[in-house]
Amino acid sequence: MPLTSESVISFGNGNGFQAGPTACQSGGRAYYLRLERMPRAMEDLLLYVTNGVFMGTSYALVALGVTLIVGIMGIINFAHGEFYVLAGYFSALFARGVGLDPVSSMLVAVVLVFLVGLVVERILIRPTYGEEMYSLIITFILYIILQNAYLVIFGPFPSKPPSWVSGATNLFGMFYYGNQRLASFAAAALVIAVFMIVMHKTWLGRVIRSVAMDREMAAMLGVNTARVNMLSFGLGCVLAACAGVILAPVFPITPTVGVGISLTAFVVMILGGLGSLTGCIVGGLLLGIVENLGVAYLSSGYKHLFGFVILILVLFFRPTGLFGQKQL
Amino acid sequence: MKLWRVCALLVAFAMVCLGMSSPGIAEDTIKIGVVGPRTGGAAATGTAFEEGIALALDKINADKGLLGKKVEVVFEDTAGDPAKAASGIEKLITKDKVVMVLGESHSSAALAEIDVANRQKVPFIIAEAWHDDITKKNYPYVFRAGPCNSGVVNDSIIGFVKEYGFKKVAIFAENTDWGLGIKDLAEKALKDAGIPFETVLTERKGQDHYAELNKVKKFKPDLILAFVYGVGVHYLLAQAGEMGIVPTEALLLEGAGPPSLWDTFWQNVGEYGNLELFVSRMHEKVMLTPVAKEFDAAYRKKFNKAPSDYKSRSIYDVLLVAADAVKRAGSTDSDKLVKALQGTKLVVCSGTVEFGTKKGSYAYHQWQPPMLIVQWQDKKQVVVYPVSGKTGDLKRK
Repeated sequence: MPLTSESVISFGNGNGFQAGPTACQSGGRAYYLRLERMPRAMEDLLLYVTNGVFMGTSYALVALGVTLIVGIMGIINFAHGEFYVLAGYFSALFARGVGLDPVSSMLVAVVLVFLVGLVVERILIRPTYGEEMYSLIITFILYIILQNAYLVIFGPFPSKPPSWVSGATNLFGMFYYGNQRLASFAAAALVIAVFMIVMHKTWLGRVIRSVAMDREMAAMLGVNTARVNMLSFGLGCVLAACAGVILAPVFPITPTVGVGISLTAFVVMILGGLGSLTGCIVGGLLLGIVENLGVAYLSSGYKHLFGFVILILVLFFRPTGLFGQKQL
Repeated sequence: MKLWRVCALLVAFAMVCLGMSSPGIAEDTIKIGVVGPRTGGAAATGTAFEEGIALALDKINADKGLLGKKVEVVFEDTAGDPAKAASGIEKLITKDKVVMVLGESHSSAALAEIDVANRQKVPFIIAEAWHDDITKKNYPYVFRAGPCNSGVVNDSIIGFVKEYGFKKVAIFAENTDWGLGIKDLAEKALKDAGIPFETVLTERKGQDHYAELNKVKKFKPDLILAFVYGVGVHYLLAQAGEMGIVPTEALLLEGAGPPSLWDTFWQNVGEYGNLELFVSRMHEKVMLTPVAKEFDAAYRKKFNKAPSDYKSRSIYDVLLVAADAVKRAGSTDSDKLVKALQGTKLVVCSGTVEFGTKKGSYAYHQWQPPMLIVQWQDKKQVVVYPVSGKTGDLKRK
């Protein structure tokens, strides 16, 4: 069901499962599911977990791109967050400046970032194959150049594409949750699902995974590994771009926001296990939920610390991360 | 591996860095250093500083400069990072040979810079870093012609809370030197006033505040004091609106100001921006002095728009204070400049600058400008405090 401020989710009215409308704080109509009045502590917990799942899904989406590139090419892309930012700026630019509708502006932004990714791979990354240190330096320099370029081109002020939906929904009759967040969550989950299907159920996915498993054998069987590298880097950038266009309506873009995005993606990737796509999804969700519970029940001033604590704990007991290596 | 590609990128990177630094300075000029964030999360302040510097230099150099020389400004980027700030001011003093340093808007960066300025014995006038300790250390070479946390809390915020009879206050503060410093002062003032309060801390770079805001919601305040800066203000306000906290259950007073005036404010916060309150040194219709009118006219003429971020005016004021001190000292000698600064009595945009000279507290070498509390009402700025300067009544849902 599409989420708008006019017509929202319908489940119940506080007495068992009877459905019924109530006033939504956005001015539209809201419906809710309330099994029975829950203790306040349980309501709070449900909010924290819900928000953790939303944040975790967004973390997973960003981290999948990094993981794909690491798994296939063995390259840590420090500029990954900058592709996220670029897509966010593009979608805002095409929607507000050119006047495209939100969906078209997002599609154009993702395609453009994909093309930028291909160019970057061809010109900057390909000459560094086999020299991990050079690729690290290249992507690090690229991150600094792009960040400063965004500052010059787009200015220092936060920018946001139009929201797809407005207002908020009273979830389960317990708390209000932004409609744009719900829509972004659905979109992110859809992109992740499509990506996983492509990787596990299609010829393209099998080719990419074969290169990740054994590059030489794949080449002997006729796979053009250089082209797969290029495509994988482009796909990694597409995942960053999808995250950018999906999350920019929730979290406005600034030239420097990519730093935090990249850092979180690296944490999720290591948490899940280098090269593991499933690990990425689980790691993202785990990080999102742990951060929210940490803020709620321990201290709100050290939100990002919880991520690192959980990372250290996981690495202590499972040095290869939750899902080991190379499950591509 | 084609090493030349890496070299070419390094050269390109170096050129970008060089492009962001200031051009060479001629010898027949008086050089004044400015420190502030031109990159990083508060780069908008750097833009505002650049505007204010341009206007001040136009004015000063149109009056034949200082001591018969043209004045030039060397603007060093600190990115809000204490380490970068310390090395930046050191470079301004030792390499660029500036006679004075001005600016800064991050308390963490300023607290690192004052040690360098004092060690090098070069006068440093802070424009917009609010932490009390900056002047509380009573360094002889450190001045502040701008707001301090104590001044903002005790002269403005608590008066506003009492005046409008708020019953329960939530403090939402970022975990920076500024955020924690002003949070402590607000807690003390609320406690002294007998007003119940609860504090929730957040990370400066955090984007998502739902979990923190749920704590605020449970407390059921009728006012939230938000001590966060930059885009964080936009995140917070939009999310507090989505959760049904503002403006229906509580009003939100943003304790920094400029982010509520940025061009993209309404785009980012939507309807939740209505009835938001913010602390400001500037209002489009309130001109405290003739200098403010002059600044307003010059700004509109040069930039073809109305001034919004008040930090352009803050740095403008501080540059006028510095120029006045050089003129009266008749020299660029540091000790003579300090003496001249101590005797300052100059009308600027925000009032008449006079530095405190009594040692022992933050008031030493401090001048607190009058601050306004402004409310957005249907996208119009309405001054609601101080009562003497009101342009309209406070509105609640």
